[in-house]
Amino acid sequence: MAELANIPWNLIMPLIVLQFILMIVALVDVIRHRRTNGPFIMWIFIIVLGNLIGSILYFIFGRRQV
Amino acid sequence: MNGFSVLLQKEWREHTRNFKMLWMPLVFIIFGILEPVTNHFLPEIMKSIGNMPEEAEFLWPEFTGEEIFMSLLGQYQSIGILVIILAFMGTISGERKNGTATLLYVRPMSFLSYFLGKWIVVNGIVLGSVWLGFMAAWYYIEILFNRVDAGAIFAFVATYSVWLVFVVTVVLALSAWLPTGGAAGLAILITLVYQFIDSLIGTYWTVSPWKLSMYASYWFEPDSELSNLWMSLGLTVILIVILIVFGVFLSKWNASKTTV
Repeated sequence: MAELANIPWNLIMPLIVLQFILMIVALVDVIRHRRTNGPFIMWIFIIVLGNLIGSILYFIFGRRQV
Repeated sequence: MNGFSVLLQKEWREHTRNFKMLWMPLVFIIFGILEPVTNHFLPEIMKSIGNMPEEAEFLWPEFTGEEIFMSLLGQYQSIGILVIILAFMGTISGERKNGTATLLYVRPMSFLSYFLGKWIVVNGIVLGSVWLGFMAAWYYIEILFNRVDAGAIFAFVATYSVWLVFVVTVVLALSAWLPTGGAAGLAILITLVYQFIDSLIGTYWTVSPWKLSMYASYWFEPDSELSNLWMSLGLTVILIVILIVFGVFLSKWNASKTTV
């Protein structure tokens, strides 16, 4: 656990928070609309597993423009 | 101009609803933070996951804040521009395809205000995102590296912004001309691929919009020759104006291709 304490969390924290916001927004959008290019379950996996890149991919390719 | 403010509001609302207003700044801020942080912790990262032999002594280069700004600009030049192109490739062609354009084109609207409304809002989003990204990077560079002269940073970002406006104008003009896929492909060719070619064989000419990102870093070196920079800036502004005229004309020309 000593290694965990050595990580400068005050520097990394904003990064994690921003990525989290991006992921949550993408997820909420998928679940609310469910109108994606391709099955929406697949997009949920892409967003959750592919963190930053996954969310970007969803917003660019996954979202069907209404 | 005919309903210009209405068209501006329409663009604004569209980009809020499809979340571009939110995710574009976030993406650029994340890259802006990631660059200084990873460069600062590179030796430790390599030590823990790099699988290097124990006795390997590796001298890590000492980066200065200016160099981090330049490497961040390199990131924006590749991934950032790709994101910009892919996000805005369908700005006009997508509207033609999904029928939004039908609702617009039947109204008395000038194509100049139509195109300019899009141009202003898209540029606002792109420049706002990139500026926020550079501000985040500035904060981290100040903490992790050294203090960089503020005037140089502003000049650096301003020069780069002109190049970004050029990229956005290219994307929008192509989107007025071609279907979405073609616009994206040609925009990638013009901005990303040609930039690579320009850096390979571009030593024979010095004035080109594609060299602006390189010239931007000249602001960090106090005594560099800036005449090429100013000439390139002028040429870029002229090209932007030509591309806007081209885009306005083509969006009018292609109005009949709208799906009804």
